[in-house]
Amino acid sequence: MSSTVTFPLAFSPDLQEGSEFALAPRAMTRERMRWYVDTQATAVANDGKPRFGGPTIHDDDDYARKNGLPGIVADGMVSTNWILSLLVEIFGPAAVSSGRLRTKYIKPIYEDDVLTTGARIGKISMTDGRKSVALEVWCRRTDGVPVTVGEALVNLPVGRTDG
Amino acid sequence: MATGRYISDLDAGDDLGRVLYTVSAFTVREYCHAVEMSAEMFLGIDNPVAPPTLVHLDKLKLYEAACPGGSGPTARLHVEFDATYHAPVPVGAEIEVTGKVTERFIRRGRTYVVTEIAMRRPGTAEPLVNYRDTIILGYEAEKAEASA
Repeated sequence: MSSTVTFPLAFSPDLQEGSEFALAPRAMTRERMRWYVDTQATAVANDGKPRFGGPTIHDDDDYARKNGLPGIVADGMVSTNWILSLLVEIFGPAAVSSGRLRTKYIKPIYEDDVLTTGARIGKISMTDGRKSVALEVWCRRTDGVPVTVGEALVNLPVGRTDG
Repeated sequence: MATGRYISDLDAGDDLGRVLYTVSAFTVREYCHAVEMSAEMFLGIDNPVAPPTLVHLDKLKLYEAACPGGSGPTARLHVEFDATYHAPVPVGAEIEVTGKVTERFIRRGRTYVVTEIAMRRPGTAEPLVNYRDTIILGYEAEKAEASA
């Protein structure tokens, strides 16, 4: 039986197959949706000045309704980044150094949906002295329905021994 | 060849070209702040690195150059992110990104477009990130809920 660990952690977790981890639940507020729209415009412009993105289906209700949606929906990259954030909590810099993250957006995320971001460790393998950790990852609504699902692989640096 | 106008025109085989840039602390901090990735290795000053998810912005840069008209008559919806990362991408790194549309197909009445993007240091063959991005053109929520 695995138990779920909620972050922030005060200790380094043992990495074992079946171990589960989760971030504290977050509400997908319209501000969180808009932050992603605006950061895309700001980051792509890359001149040190903030930008407004949009209108998009992520920040403009009228635009979303014109495109057949009941209202704004979150960009899938928000939940993807929440999952990556959890992997960083678990693995530190290794989570963004070598590996893979694949996420699929299987249901729309609407305003104020409350999501739990989770990961479960699958197979742990060793190749050429390097440990690789496979994980199932997800964001689920509070009713248990998954909205973003996927898989990750984290290649740990040679010499790291946890797990 | 379906580049030059709208993203909704893109078809398999379209070359989205090449973008060159330097990874800036500003971009990394703004992006990570917006998605609440608060680790100091992203937001701080001690050898910060870019998260591999930042490659999603490279798709937008390629779109901007190849499709100056924007999305087209309908919104697009991102449905799958799939990135394999081979090495850390430090702030200050010079980057070359190339992109190609590899698939366009219809499933359950919706049009999917798959783009494959490679991020590497300029002039080298070694990839930093390989990214496969899937979008739907002309999304309708009711159909998506019914088929999910």
